[in-house]
Amino acid sequence: MGAARPLLYYRLLSPQTEESRGRLFRGYDPGPFYDEMFLPDGQARPHYARMFRELDSMAPEQFEERRQLADLSFLLQGITFTVYSDGRGTERLFPFDLIPRILPASDWDRIERGLSQRVIALNLFLQDIYGAQRILKDRRLPRSLIYSCGHFRREMIGVQVPGGIYTHVAGIDLVRDSRTGEFLVLEDNVRTPSGISYVLENRLVMTRTFPYAFHEHPVRPVDHYPTELCQILRSLSPRGGDAPAIVLLTPGIYNSAYFEHSFLAQQMGIELVEGRDLIVDGEVVYMKTIHGLMRVDVVYRRIDDDYLDPLAFRPDSLLGVPGLMGAYRAGNVALANALGNGVADDKAIYAYVPEFIRYYLGEEPVLRNVETYLCSRPKDLAHVLDHLPELVVKAVGESGGYGMLMGPTADRATIAEFRDRLQDNPRNYIAQPVVPLSRVPSYDPRNAAIAGRHVDLRPYCLFNGEKVVIVPGGLTRVALQPGSLVVNSSQGGGSKDTWVLGGDL
Amino acid sequence: MNRYRLQHVTLFEYDGPVSESYNEVRLRPRQDETQSCLSFRLSTDPSSRPSAHVDPFGNWVHRFNVLAEHRRLRVAADSVVLVQTPPAIPAGTRRLADLDLLDEEIDQYYDLLAPTAYAPHLAELAGLMQEAGERSDGSAGSYALAAATLIYERFRYEKGATHVQSSIRDALSTGAGVCQDFAHLLLAVLRMRHLPARYVSGYLVPRRTAEPGASVEEVIGGQASHAWAEVYLPGAGWFGLDPTLGRPVCLQHVRVAYGRDYGDVAPVRGVYKGHAGQRLSVDVQVRPALDHEGCEHLAQTNAGPPRGPLPEEPPQQQQQQQ
Repeated sequence: MGAARPLLYYRLLSPQTEESRGRLFRGYDPGPFYDEMFLPDGQARPHYARMFRELDSMAPEQFEERRQLADLSFLLQGITFTVYSDGRGTERLFPFDLIPRILPASDWDRIERGLSQRVIALNLFLQDIYGAQRILKDRRLPRSLIYSCGHFRREMIGVQVPGGIYTHVAGIDLVRDSRTGEFLVLEDNVRTPSGISYVLENRLVMTRTFPYAFHEHPVRPVDHYPTELCQILRSLSPRGGDAPAIVLLTPGIYNSAYFEHSFLAQQMGIELVEGRDLIVDGEVVYMKTIHGLMRVDVVYRRIDDDYLDPLAFRPDSLLGVPGLMGAYRAGNVALANALGNGVADDKAIYAYVPEFIRYYLGEEPVLRNVETYLCSRPKDLAHVLDHLPELVVKAVGESGGYGMLMGPTADRATIAEFRDRLQDNPRNYIAQPVVPLSRVPSYDPRNAAIAGRHVDLRPYCLFNGEKVVIVPGGLTRVALQPGSLVVNSSQGGGSKDTWVLGGDL
Repeated sequence: MNRYRLQHVTLFEYDGPVSESYNEVRLRPRQDETQSCLSFRLSTDPSSRPSAHVDPFGNWVHRFNVLAEHRRLRVAADSVVLVQTPPAIPAGTRRLADLDLLDEEIDQYYDLLAPTAYAPHLAELAGLMQEAGERSDGSAGSYALAAATLIYERFRYEKGATHVQSSIRDALSTGAGVCQDFAHLLLAVLRMRHLPARYVSGYLVPRRTAEPGASVEEVIGGQASHAWAEVYLPGAGWFGLDPTLGRPVCLQHVRVAYGRDYGDVAPVRGVYKGHAGQRLSVDVQVRPALDHEGCEHLAQTNAGPPRGPLPEEPPQQQQQQQ
């Protein structure tokens, strides 16, 4: 409880009183899960002790006031996302839970080492698979898995990408297994991972809502992300020079991550463009401006491979830039992330990433995978078909929680439907046991109390060709529905600010 | 050994003005042990600055764009190619029963064993496969040859029976097709037997040009643009088979591009901006670059309009030569 509370805070919020103590956490039950705030004996974990005392002394009305303040802040800043396929209008607020997810330095050290190792291995894998294909010739990975992957881009074979970098930005999803307390890698996202804008905005809103808490906790900052990303983008410029022209290529306002695209472009001071703003002539990319055509050196593209260039990929795409692939091939423009990365985050190939780490780096993986059944293997498929109600089934090329079966909560019809799909196209699916995700106390507005909710963690890793820079923390996604394990924003999840502590409290 | 000069002209004529046309063409004859591309020149009207790369199948791809408004686009490829007699399939190639998909030699051709959209692996092909097996002596080479002959015997060559997007389902249901369908049928029958096979696009030089004095009727469909397939026989290499003619390839076959199926080898494809419809005409001229008498024979063929339906005026359109 610092004496240095800003004046503004007192004006907006009601004061705390002794009577309020304990009301928010009344009836709190950590359940049979790893609770990020509490030890099994009910004591707050050391790194959460202060935050718990603070929350515990708050009246529900006070907490509610701050929650509304935070929501208002998000609304006023227009921080929204889009849910496809629900037919209920385009944008909505991304639910935010005020109780931060706090990671002690020791947990983070391990995560950071594990992610660096993984991102470097994934990049080496992409260099190899679009180059010499050593790993296939050495029979460490079945060729069929690569060549049957819908995101494997034969067009990229032999293309020299700037700096040999494919995975400039990677969002690797981690979960903490309640049974062991260990962080596991759930999936890799190395195409166009989104969500970093929420990390930055969540922090901003938290510093306004709980300003004093940042005096009391050594929270490592996250706000240098745009600077770090921009530095990498600048270094990719094929022309060199001090002032490369960098653009962020967005599919447009109907994209679920459009807010993030405009936010990042603004933060990095680069142009936000759509496909129609660019034109390729003689293998050089130009931006159409009121002063005429301006050469573009680097494209931070947030459009999927398929839609990037109608000449090279889907001819019906109106979002892309015809001829972009040719300019990229000619080395006249850099793309981040590289084309063809989807072969590295295919959910079936995911099962081999620990093997990539051993093969390319000669190291043991720091972070383990979740046990995974590849339905393309007849033995695995048989097991999966026998145990569908206990498993999570995922389509290998999808992300965002689409095309997924949660066995334990699915009804019979859905399970039957997936059974058919698996048999029709086994290569397209993997299955995993349901990981009992750890929980973080979260506020449930319906009964104005705090309850445990399952979380995952998506750190954002930037790779400059030599080392991996990871903004401490990342996006903690939380399944706000009681009991739910699905944290995807597209499936009704919310998020929390994630604090990595720079030292002990 | 024969030397040919090939002139392949593709002309797109639009009903109205179009612009921002981006194209890639696969028109340069391949270069390898049995065929040399002695010269190649690509020109376009309106003019452009083409650049080139080699695709994963080893084909030359030339790319160019025309930004300014235009009402016609002419793409002319002019090449001189030297063709050697292709090797015949040796006797005693590996037994069909001994083909192992996991064999290192076969595994590297995964892409050429997998079903494709044009050449899916269908249960209806079981009869053809069985018959080809019975006609063969049990070796992979004789199976491949039997399959090519069988397809020649069982299917009618008929223009218009199928269209440019047809998979082999169409040829199987009508019993007819063109060289593209014949080649796709052979691919499926070979791949389903675990033999790597690739689609070949190229030219069939009229026999009177290849061997002066021979009959003109040999030129199937009167069109020099042609397609066939090549099979990989473990331990022996690649061999070309022409199921439209029912025999192995010869000095008349000039190879331009390889692929998994037609989708990988389209001679000209592109996109452009504009609301105009398009008409396509293709003109291929083949003549001996130098024959024994020192005079030039000329064989000229004309292709009709494209067979596929055109898209209904999207703001950005595709063009593809059959």
